[in-house]
Amino acid sequence: KFSSGSSFTGFIVSHLLHSGEDIPLIVLRQRETKWLEMLNNWDKWMAKKHKKIKERCQKGIPPSLRGRAWLYLTGGKVKLEQNRGKFQELDSLPGDPKWVDIIERDLHRQFPFHEMFAARGGHGQQDLFRVLKAYSLYRPEEGYCQAQAPVAALLLMHMPAEDAFWVLIQICEKYLPGYYSTGLEAIQLDGEILNALLRRVSSTAHRHLKKHKLEPILYMTEWFMCAFSRTLAWSSVLRVWDMFLCEGVKIIFKVGLVLLKCTLGTQEKLKTCQGSYETMERLRGIPSQYMQESFLVNEVRSPFYCFGSTVTAQSVPLGSVINDPSELGMHRK
Amino acid sequence: MQNNHHKERLYKILVIGDLGVGKTSIIKRYVHHNFSPNYRATIGVDFALKVLNWDQETVRLQLWDIAGQERFGNMTRVYYREAMGAFIVFDVTRPASFEAVTKWKEDLDSKLTLANGKNVATVLLANKCDQGRDVLTNNGIKMEQFCLENGFVGWYETSAKENINIDEAANCLVKHIIANENDMLQSEVLDTISPQLEKDKGGTCSSCFRSQ
Repeated sequence: KFSSGSSFTGFIVSHLLHSGEDIPLIVLRQRETKWLEMLNNWDKWMAKKHKKIKERCQKGIPPSLRGRAWLYLTGGKVKLEQNRGKFQELDSLPGDPKWVDIIERDLHRQFPFHEMFAARGGHGQQDLFRVLKAYSLYRPEEGYCQAQAPVAALLLMHMPAEDAFWVLIQICEKYLPGYYSTGLEAIQLDGEILNALLRRVSSTAHRHLKKHKLEPILYMTEWFMCAFSRTLAWSSVLRVWDMFLCEGVKIIFKVGLVLLKCTLGTQEKLKTCQGSYETMERLRGIPSQYMQESFLVNEVRSPFYCFGSTVTAQSVPLGSVINDPSELGMHRK
Repeated sequence: MQNNHHKERLYKILVIGDLGVGKTSIIKRYVHHNFSPNYRATIGVDFALKVLNWDQETVRLQLWDIAGQERFGNMTRVYYREAMGAFIVFDVTRPASFEAVTKWKEDLDSKLTLANGKNVATVLLANKCDQGRDVLTNNGIKMEQFCLENGFVGWYETSAKENINIDEAANCLVKHIIANENDMLQSEVLDTISPQLEKDKGGTCSSCFRSQ
């Protein structure tokens, strides 16, 4: 049987890999052809057929083109072209010792079971250092935030250091602005927004969290700051990122709402996590069926989790929720 | 008193300190009895549960593993809530992480106090002692002095890797937490009228039943 199910993921320990969707090879080849056509005429597609790009991102970007697609979708490619030589320049500088010290202590603590990052001082860790150090020089007022490391590492699994650097810039500035800044206010604000949206999506889950004084930052900090890269089954991480880099932070909100609703959404489910600690534990170890690729993607795409710009905008000051799909990915010139 | 009367205590304990000092490793060693050089950096907060037998009682410890990077300090107020004790960890091979100890202690004391207004019991851990003792921890008297001045109930040289002193440090903390709790109960008893539930009298009035 020919399928993509056995595609290379880079992880040494297989328990991290819940089986992903098995796409027939013929379908995969067709998708690759379509994506190549899009990537080769990117400006035209972005201007005229953004909806189609969105649909194709929802179906999943073919693994062989994912890195290139992410670079294009985020506008990282345009940034790179506008700033030729910038990465090399930053790369050649020593970096602020304060940030270098922290970055170095985090290098071996990112995806330690991925072959790229397993070896101390190996290529993966070296590139990770280069990207994070370059960012700390690019935005000296922000420096380095620990949650940036898994994001950068995930990018490096798909693209060379220079590309990863510019995609990281885009994520930090356009997708999740302020998430990694010194005061971490943006993430706390988005925690409140998530909570407000949860009330609409699942009053049961909302009431339960409120009753146990479980504030959003207790459970959503890692989810949002790492864009679920450390939470979900690996195949789901990639699918969520395909959508996230196309549609923006609203995908992260939707995934969060799906997980909360699936985990705490009925009285039956709450029976097994009655205390605050039990609830926290459940949210740290979400049952695998809810994180499974096809289930999760279907839920995220379901109209149930669509709020539209009016619903969100009237209820909460949307710090970073992107309502206009054209706002992201439209980085032509 | 029936002999199956079994009291259970539950305490939330914080594990704080600079990043990379080994907070997660200490918790994993204590709870899961193992060590790995491959723990992921903690983002936000993580948890683990340890169950102890303590004088015929069961003591459950919720260990809260809190991200060490300074910028997460903005969130610590929420993480600290209702904790009864804390470990502050530093890395003996990194003097800067010891310098941060007083900063963590101040952060803790400014955001968290017990019901009686006292600070929570805090034990200082000089971790990674397998990698060599530094000048500071070599001088026990100086460390005692430091603990006294900064309000730590004790300090231990620990190694999560070699399993040194972690159980001892936890026992010390639990002992102080229980003492604090008894103190508080004691003072409560002094200024409240406590209904007595005695078998021979029987609980006739429903409003006299109070949760134990």
